[in-house]
Amino acid sequence: MSSLRHGHSGTPSSPHTPQHHLRSNNSSFASTTSSTSYRGEEDAIIFELGARWLRAGFEGESTPMCVVGCGPEECRRVGDYRGWLKTNNPDTDPGQLRPLVNAEDWASAYELWKMDLRTVDLGLVEDKIERMFRETYNKYLLTDAGTSRLVLVLPAIMPHPLLSSLLSVLFSRWRFPSITLLTSATMAVMAAGVRSALVVDIGWAETVVTGVYEYREIAVKRSTRAMKALLQETGRLLTNIPAARGGKAQSSGSGDAGISVRFEVCEEVASRFLWCKPRNTPSTAESTKAEPDDDEHEPTTQHSSLSSLLQRTVEIPCPSNPGSAYVNLPFSTFTEPVETTLFATGTAECELDDEEKPLPLLVYNALLALPPDVRGICMSRMIFTGGGANIPGVRQRILADVAALVDEHGWSPVRGKVIEQQRRKLANLHPTPDTNNTTPTEPQPQKPAPAQEPQDSDSDSTLDGEDPIEAKIRRNNRDTVAPPTLQGVLREVETLGPWAGASLTTSLKIRGLVEIEREKYLQHGLAGATRDFEAHAHVPDRRSGLRAGGGGDRSSWTLAGWG
Amino acid sequence: MSRPFPYTYISCPCANTPVPDPSKKRRSRESPQKASSHYDPDQPNPPPRFDDSEDEQTFDPRAPRSNFSLYPPEHLLYCEDCHQIKCPRCITEEIVCWYCPNCLFETPSSMVKSEGNRCARNCFNCPACTAPLAVNTLENVVQGGTSQQGPWVLSCGYCFWSTLDIGIKFDKPTNIRTQLAKLTATDANGSRSRQMSRTFGDLKSPLSTFSSINEQFHPSSGEPRAEESPDQPSAPLNPDARFHALKNFYKNQISATSSFSSPSDPLGVGVDFGGPISSPRAIDRIMSLYASSSRLNSLYSKKPKTKPPVMREALTVNEGLKIPTPDAESMRIQRMAVDECGWDGLASLEQRGFQSPDARFVEELLPLATLLRTKRAKRCKSCKHILVKPETKPSSTRFRIRLIALSYIPLPTLRPLMPGPPVPAPAAAVVTSHNTNLNLNLDALPPLKPTQLLLTLKNHMFDPVRITLATPSVTPGRVASKVTILCPQFDIGANSDMWDEALQGSSNNNNNNNNSTSNTGGSAATDQRSSRSGAAATTATSNLGIYEKVAEAGKVWDKGRNWTTVVLEVVPGTLPSGNGGGGSSSSVTLQSRNQTPVQGSSKKDTDDDDASDSDSDTSSFGAGKVPDWTGQAAEKQQQQQASQEQPLQPDEDVLEIPVFVRMEWDSENQIDRPGQGAAGDIVKRELAYWMVLGVGRIDPSVLG
Repeated sequence: MSSLRHGHSGTPSSPHTPQHHLRSNNSSFASTTSSTSYRGEEDAIIFELGARWLRAGFEGESTPMCVVGCGPEECRRVGDYRGWLKTNNPDTDPGQLRPLVNAEDWASAYELWKMDLRTVDLGLVEDKIERMFRETYNKYLLTDAGTSRLVLVLPAIMPHPLLSSLLSVLFSRWRFPSITLLTSATMAVMAAGVRSALVVDIGWAETVVTGVYEYREIAVKRSTRAMKALLQETGRLLTNIPAARGGKAQSSGSGDAGISVRFEVCEEVASRFLWCKPRNTPSTAESTKAEPDDDEHEPTTQHSSLSSLLQRTVEIPCPSNPGSAYVNLPFSTFTEPVETTLFATGTAECELDDEEKPLPLLVYNALLALPPDVRGICMSRMIFTGGGANIPGVRQRILADVAALVDEHGWSPVRGKVIEQQRRKLANLHPTPDTNNTTPTEPQPQKPAPAQEPQDSDSDSTLDGEDPIEAKIRRNNRDTVAPPTLQGVLREVETLGPWAGASLTTSLKIRGLVEIEREKYLQHGLAGATRDFEAHAHVPDRRSGLRAGGGGDRSSWTLAGWG
Repeated sequence: MSRPFPYTYISCPCANTPVPDPSKKRRSRESPQKASSHYDPDQPNPPPRFDDSEDEQTFDPRAPRSNFSLYPPEHLLYCEDCHQIKCPRCITEEIVCWYCPNCLFETPSSMVKSEGNRCARNCFNCPACTAPLAVNTLENVVQGGTSQQGPWVLSCGYCFWSTLDIGIKFDKPTNIRTQLAKLTATDANGSRSRQMSRTFGDLKSPLSTFSSINEQFHPSSGEPRAEESPDQPSAPLNPDARFHALKNFYKNQISATSSFSSPSDPLGVGVDFGGPISSPRAIDRIMSLYASSSRLNSLYSKKPKTKPPVMREALTVNEGLKIPTPDAESMRIQRMAVDECGWDGLASLEQRGFQSPDARFVEELLPLATLLRTKRAKRCKSCKHILVKPETKPSSTRFRIRLIALSYIPLPTLRPLMPGPPVPAPAAAVVTSHNTNLNLNLDALPPLKPTQLLLTLKNHMFDPVRITLATPSVTPGRVASKVTILCPQFDIGANSDMWDEALQGSSNNNNNNNNSTSNTGGSAATDQRSSRSGAAATTATSNLGIYEKVAEAGKVWDKGRNWTTVVLEVVPGTLPSGNGGGGSSSSVTLQSRNQTPVQGSSKKDTDDDDASDSDSDTSSFGAGKVPDWTGQAAEKQQQQQASQEQPLQPDEDVLEIPVFVRMEWDSENQIDRPGQGAAGDIVKRELAYWMVLGVGRIDPSVLG
């Protein structure tokens, strides 16, 4: 990491440098002398923790050994096997009507933690984490807990009390020599084989769009339109099926009514049948005058098949008593929650709060927040991860919607009628040869004003416009410089997921920047982390969550991005 | 509760010691701004973390956290050194052996990892229903003397799934796992072997792919689409192959970039990452080893201005890049919607749990090799003494060491005491009784009606134990039941030899002997009773209804060689009215205020049995309840006013009584300590823990 800074910036060495070099020096021998790797033969164990699921496995493997949830079934007392009972069990007994449950409570029983810690009992979270880890080790990992290094893949933002609870539990319960923290977004990038990407993590509570450039998180946008809201919406949908309430049709509107369907049933339905319509031009709310150009990869036959798709019905088990009856629902039903939740169809854009932007807008905003060159690279490396990315059609839809947004607005955050007029006027004054969003009505005598609108075409024109100087540079050092990277077009790159990324990273013997040693942590806890780690010189590095070199400084540790 | 009523749980004392947060120490000492900024003193923290006054605090069996500390008594261990109960949370485990639960074949530890913690032989589980799969032959033709057996398949005897469904047949009936691995590797991606060889080509010359990048530059239009046919929408590389391709790619890149300018770099792979490593840096490092003067460093740090090669990103499919084709998703949607797929054609969450992340349909599920299991030795977490050590043989069920808690703490059992002249409880009479031999239906305890329970504690130690029980007079939670232990202090006899009892059993005054040694209070009365009931008391469950005794305060109910029974009197509280307000007809009492906001939801909320719902007693019970409670727990009710609004939570109607057990006994000091004399010392020991007695469910038809 230090070498990177010097290599790139070439800044004259600061007074800190000697210490630095010493540090990287240690690192070169860390593989043999470091205290953490005295069990070098033991593979590190990687846990990916989210609000809903825990993935666990060994480094160097492509998929986690297990995925464990933490629902109410997992939180029962030992010896309470009612989850297995089909009779005399109010949870599974179809004979009983289930009460309407507040949508928030309905979902919160199934999450490990919430970002809003005011209502979270951290002790309970600790209990759950302890049990999840213990059972994961005993059932799936089948190795002695605490003997080998632990790598945690965590979301980039963790409340400190939560992080402290997590680490305290792990360190005090087992004898992990060290725990390494890695950010999930960077790991997703790693697992996609690219260095920079726009990671769209459609997670449980939030959708997080992270611009990652050279393994560093540089821009983050969040939205609450994520799987939790989607499942709640699906739950309402299933609750409102007339047959679902045992014949008693529900008159109350969807509004904020409770959910009577069991969470498991709802999640099952959601995971099997939720899908997302491809973008069709007239219906979407955000762009009324979008051109049908973004559908070139979807031939017209697709559209006809789409309409036939919408005609179909599918049979799902009746949500109220899944064991016995089936209900027929039109296939189009299962796209409604996705539309309303993730894409905010039917809601005017002005009504949306900042934290509930629809996903295409969120992606667009995140791209907009990136510097143009980074944007060009990131937009052609879009990575979808998280549970929502598994909904068929969502990725293409987001890409198409973003493309439409770009077509409509270009890369400019400025909106409004007046701006539009002015822009049109300007465009009329000097039509650019490679227009992408405005069409000049009449050609005017040109005035050279190159500095005025670079933002319109910077990213889109890089691909075709071959700079002779660049070409020369490339020719001169063909063997050293990487080949031209694709940029400026919207493209999706598939990732193997953050867990696999962490597995890759760890198996390549790359150490995380945040490596917490047992003794150090037990002395001071999170408060022991150095915050002024190289002051501000290494801020971008801290964001990457990866550390160059094996060991680094042993005397202090840092929380990097989590600090 | 799925455990049949009545049941007992024991709370491991470790629940009272919260996880130490190391940063708390620091805060008290000198609080740097980071600590104080993240740990606000006024930050609302959950109460259980801070009030460590465990003796004062009543254990609430209904608190969400107590689910994690309550264990059935037989699940607990006991550490003889710490003299403490040990639950699975306060032990550490060490694996003794790995074995397949299906074939009971032990897997050596060296192979466990490489086989992915799964059975390497022929044990498979059905991907659809998780039942074990059997290896069956498709044809069994007997020709002459030799039987010709055809290709083999794995088939599920439960759901009739077989590998034919996914088009897999095996040539041999043995070594199915390796056969399957081969078949799936070529099945899921036809190009895997080719792929591997190509990546090995990369390994030789890391830069050789550069020339071919141009034609592979748009992988989405090239190779993957060609490979992708409508009936095989799986990825060109399955995730596993992709992972290895990526790994190879990264390795090559790291070695290429790090060894590019300094081929003699001994550090090789993986020293630096996310950035370049070049020879100036390497020299720089070595130099700084010997002379870390800043002058030298400033001298050298100029050199990196020549831009070193940067690791590039994966560009081709062979390097692990995957650009999904745009129609892959729509294809999947099409496939979801077709009639023959339907609900059952899509894999459930449970089925997908251990499959490839891409598997969405049942047809894509592969049989899963059986997960191995382990036998584990258990050690006390604090003193590291072994508590459980099983025999290593998988088929052996014996233990070399097993310190289960029940040999040290008294086994609690609970059963209802039938009143002498059985008064038919109104609710219990209506409900068809599940427990036929009992008159009292524990699944529908009548509220506000005193019920007597017999709590028997059976001692398994060879020392007599003195027990002190304590219970809150009102159970915590919204459903406040009154509990009284009629005799909270008593003794239990030692678990002397069975032979002793057998010898003395004929003389019919065994209890007298025991009582004379230890019993102090009310011994006369107990003696009388026990001699009357005599040996029949040991089989008290069989003739439960025939007691004509009356429970007296301060007196032990019954007593045997190593057990003592005391009486608990319970008045079950009424369920909060939020549950079934529709049942009771518009009471105008204080409760009705709580009822109104939830009226809408409570109407839909019907109860277990609508038949008893129309019980006319309900309103009178409810009316009678209110003045009783305002006297005792008025402010408590005030507090709970807000929570009263909620409808009945699951399991809130279960009557669970927290009981604090404190046991004292004199034991011989068996551990020889250097300073002490012979192993004959008498040491006073005590042990205290919370126990939860699950009595039954309160009848929901009787409302407050």
